[in-house]
Amino acid sequence: MPLTREDVAGIADYARIALTPEELDEMTAYMNDAIDLLEPIRAYDLEGVEPTFHPIGDLSNVMADDVPDTEVRHLPVDVALKNAAASRDRSFRVPSILGDQGGDR
Amino acid sequence: MANFDQLSAREIAAGVANGDFTAVEVARAALDAVEARDGEVKAFLQVSADLALAAAEATDKARAAGEKLGPLAGVPVAFKDNMHLVGTRTTCASRMLANYESTFTATCVQRMLDAGATPVGKTNMDEFAFGSSTESSAFHPTANPWDTERVPGGSSGGSAAAVAAGEVTVSLGSDTGGSIRQPASLCGVVGLKPTYGAVSRYGVVAFGSSLDQVGPFGRSVEDVALAMNALTAGGRDPWDSTSQPVDVDFLAHLNDPVEGRRVGVVPALMEAAGLTDEVRDAVAAAGRALRDQGAELVEVDLPNIASAIAAYYVIAPCEAFSNLARFDGVRYGYQERGCATLAEQTSLSRAHGFGEEAKRRQMLGAYLLSSGTYDKYYYPAQQVRTLITADYARAYEKCDVILMPAAPRTAFKFGEMSDPTQMYASDLFTISNNIVGNGGVSVPLGLGAQSGLPVSAQLQGPAFADASLLTFARAIERSFSPDGGAPVAPAFAGKGGELA
Amino acid sequence: MKKLAEVLRDWEAVIGLEVHTELTALETKMFCNCRLSHDDEPNTNVCPVCLGMPGALPVPNERAIESIVMAGLATNCEIQRHSMFYRKHYFYPDMAKNFQTTQGPVAFCMHGHLDLEVSGAGAKERPDGTVEKDADGTYVAPIRILRIHMEEDAAKMVHVGGEEGRITAATESLIDYNRCGTPLIELVTEPDLRTPEEARLFMEKLRQTFLTLGISDCSLENGSMRCDGNISLRRRGSTEFGTKTEMKNINSFKSLHDALEYEICRQAEVLEEGGIVYQETRHWEPSRRRTVVMRVKETADDYRLFPDPDLAPFDLTDEFVERCRARIPELPDAKRDRYMADLGLKRADAAQLAGDPAVAAFFEDALAAAGEKSAETVTKVMVNLVPSYDALTPAQVASLSALLAEDAITFAQAREVLDAVNGTGEDPAAYVDAHGMRQSTDEGALGAIVDEVLGRCTDQVQQYRDGNKKVLGFLVGQCMKAAKGSGNPKAFNKMLAERLEA
Repeated sequence: MPLTREDVAGIADYARIALTPEELDEMTAYMNDAIDLLEPIRAYDLEGVEPTFHPIGDLSNVMADDVPDTEVRHLPVDVALKNAAASRDRSFRVPSILGDQGGDR
Repeated sequence: MANFDQLSAREIAAGVANGDFTAVEVARAALDAVEARDGEVKAFLQVSADLALAAAEATDKARAAGEKLGPLAGVPVAFKDNMHLVGTRTTCASRMLANYESTFTATCVQRMLDAGATPVGKTNMDEFAFGSSTESSAFHPTANPWDTERVPGGSSGGSAAAVAAGEVTVSLGSDTGGSIRQPASLCGVVGLKPTYGAVSRYGVVAFGSSLDQVGPFGRSVEDVALAMNALTAGGRDPWDSTSQPVDVDFLAHLNDPVEGRRVGVVPALMEAAGLTDEVRDAVAAAGRALRDQGAELVEVDLPNIASAIAAYYVIAPCEAFSNLARFDGVRYGYQERGCATLAEQTSLSRAHGFGEEAKRRQMLGAYLLSSGTYDKYYYPAQQVRTLITADYARAYEKCDVILMPAAPRTAFKFGEMSDPTQMYASDLFTISNNIVGNGGVSVPLGLGAQSGLPVSAQLQGPAFADASLLTFARAIERSFSPDGGAPVAPAFAGKGGELA
Repeated sequence: MKKLAEVLRDWEAVIGLEVHTELTALETKMFCNCRLSHDDEPNTNVCPVCLGMPGALPVPNERAIESIVMAGLATNCEIQRHSMFYRKHYFYPDMAKNFQTTQGPVAFCMHGHLDLEVSGAGAKERPDGTVEKDADGTYVAPIRILRIHMEEDAAKMVHVGGEEGRITAATESLIDYNRCGTPLIELVTEPDLRTPEEARLFMEKLRQTFLTLGISDCSLENGSMRCDGNISLRRRGSTEFGTKTEMKNINSFKSLHDALEYEICRQAEVLEEGGIVYQETRHWEPSRRRTVVMRVKETADDYRLFPDPDLAPFDLTDEFVERCRARIPELPDAKRDRYMADLGLKRADAAQLAGDPAVAAFFEDALAAAGEKSAETVTKVMVNLVPSYDALTPAQVASLSALLAEDAITFAQAREVLDAVNGTGEDPAAYVDAHGMRQSTDEGALGAIVDEVLGRCTDQVQQYRDGNKKVLGFLVGQCMKAAKGSGNPKAFNKMLAERLEA
């Protein structure tokens, strides 16, 4: 069943991408075209086939030592903030989150 | 004296080391060539003249001090604009990052600089690497140096065009579904996508984290080998969990004979829909050339490769959605002004900061990862990935490398491919290698019989057999490029760039 | 509202806990090498990785993985050899990438348990007949642990312009990424807890265990250990679960107990009035002693979880797991049992001393200085006196215990001595001598005083002999007064009794 305009509006809301009504129409058409392209995946019988999430062969257990780096990768606060559109008191600044619902952790 | 665009990377490094010319002279020549040529090619988003001259001066000083110079000493290089280099902006050709200043330098960039390279600038690309034509750049399209009314391919179109136009000797691109090999093919240069993990991804803005791989462009296989030595020197990158050591000298095996070695050909692929006759014929000719040098051609089958595009267009958008979620206009990037709430600011910043294709990919990914849908598409796509990986493993029991086209056709005109899903289907020959993580290289075969535009073959190999890929690529080059490499596109060769 | 005891007669409370613990004992963050922050200026300990800069990549901290494996082994979990990190997406700027790197269906540690010993007044919360209790009311509650997974903490946000930094009415928020990326382990219990006291004890035991492992400072007040509670009610005898609410902002053991108590009573009232308990997140307000609604969950959140392609999977080796196991010190229960068996301590005292690894170490040092024969006195000092002081040394406690054991000072004097030597390092014995506090037990000197008192208090002597033995206390007091505090009351007691009974 193809995605409806409302379905796509819900996804856009989740993905935090505001779409105009015209964009929503185009996006709905695109999404359904793209999903059609994916049909071969659903035609398979994949019983017992392990997924490959990482194309890295047997590589596993990659870890780093618990040793502080305060020089090489550390960013001074002015560099950390230099690409931010809004900052204050050494911090990144955002407007009120009133009306937002943050996720739980 | 010669134009720098006629020199290989090895010749430039040797010339600088021997004192035939200075690194600063080469840097000035390259900057002069960019000045003369890029108005038309538009390969660059940013020219880093100050950084280039400073690096070249440091190289010359090192020589004067009697220090041993790096293998890329004085070689002009360009970096795709998704690679961080302190002192430059990294825009990913997006309005989202139009003013983003690099806060650190990518490992791949640093290794090129450590080898003595001169950083000429940052090159154009499809926005966030989503595309195959470089038309989705938020700033401007890049022209194909062989026909400026046509696209250079993409997404690393700027890096391919800069090398094809002779503006730099070597460049770096990134390849998530063919974004090095396809533009290399369309621009008539050599482009290698190494095995996943061979080159660090640290500092390269991610598109599809399990698919992305950085690799070099050059006009000769030797230049690409030289760059690979620089990129893998120093072993694995401790800052990239998926990085693995590559303990091989890419130059050492370049001229090994291919006699007695086996080259796989997939008959079904040579009959694929959309493949033009001139490309099919040229690739067949490349096979004959290898056979003439003593290699054996064997037929192999990749039964699941037809599903690679579907698997890719599940995995890549999901990873893209996740990787691009961080662009919310808070820590960096475009921020919509005057919003009362954070939610509004985030949604409008993303709506106006991202271009159409970037939004499309993220929307598709957000849908495919949603609960219920994950089990219908994402998980099975990763299972199909296992099947395709097994196909390749079986094929490589019968052959050392597989020969196929890199792109189904030569460069197309601007605007010709307007339907996004039609564009997706053109990645047929390149995508499967990103799915399995293996290496692949585009090798120029001269100009197409019908189009008169560059045509290439692609060689694919097993994991971490990238040096062997270059051996076969060099064998093809011996037959098709008697001068030892592909020519600079004639419209630009010699324009500016004279070594003073 | 009805009282808890009344509610729990009719209703069974079904409680599960989610406990987040920051691995504060580590040097660096989970996926980068930034220092862990304590009270640093905002955005001091940041790098491209924990700021979620484009192009940055994560590498897991090995000691964090070792720590969670130790936590799993100490809580009887099965260590999963194969597991992966996943990305959990939600758009909120306290997570720099707009996803949290956490674990998926398989965590490093699965299916563990901790057995709680519930005794004393707290055991009464569990109605008789719902669990097998000892003669003194003590019972054991086995609590299953679903999983412990590894993840990263979020940044701190300060809401400006509103009241008391609260979200409501704030006009803007400031984000400090110092905490972002701090290694965090999340433990999820099965819904096996039945009373607020069991929940409190579980948290306490978990804290003791993690403190013993040395992986965290486990401070509820500072938020390095955080607890959310899920709670629902069902009629006694029912096996179906009711609708649960989730409790947040619990920053002390007392808050945990009181919030759960309130919520049990609140839900019972709603249900008994024929109302509906909504699935919602509630916030505990300690000052008003109530929970208030934070948000109603209409639909399950869709976090778009998928395996993180940037992080290689884990296939933990035997060698790795055994290395972690070898690093686990003696845990509180084993220590308690050893104190009982080897030192003859009472169970409650042994449990108190063994619970906190710092206290146990102090106790063992004091005992070593005093000699094992003094175990009883040292224990008495440790249990009754030491908790009131902050700067005593084990040597001081050993010395003080010796003074008490030889009746050189009274328990009341012991407090006076500790008040004086706390923080100075001075030997209590030296202090006692310098201040003439050492009490005489010399029968000759004290005998004269006893005889003098008996001679003058003839009325009381007669009362004693008529059977009013309580009057002995008055006579001891008179002796003490006469001795101006330097006589040992025990000695007076003994000598008076001898003479009166003669």
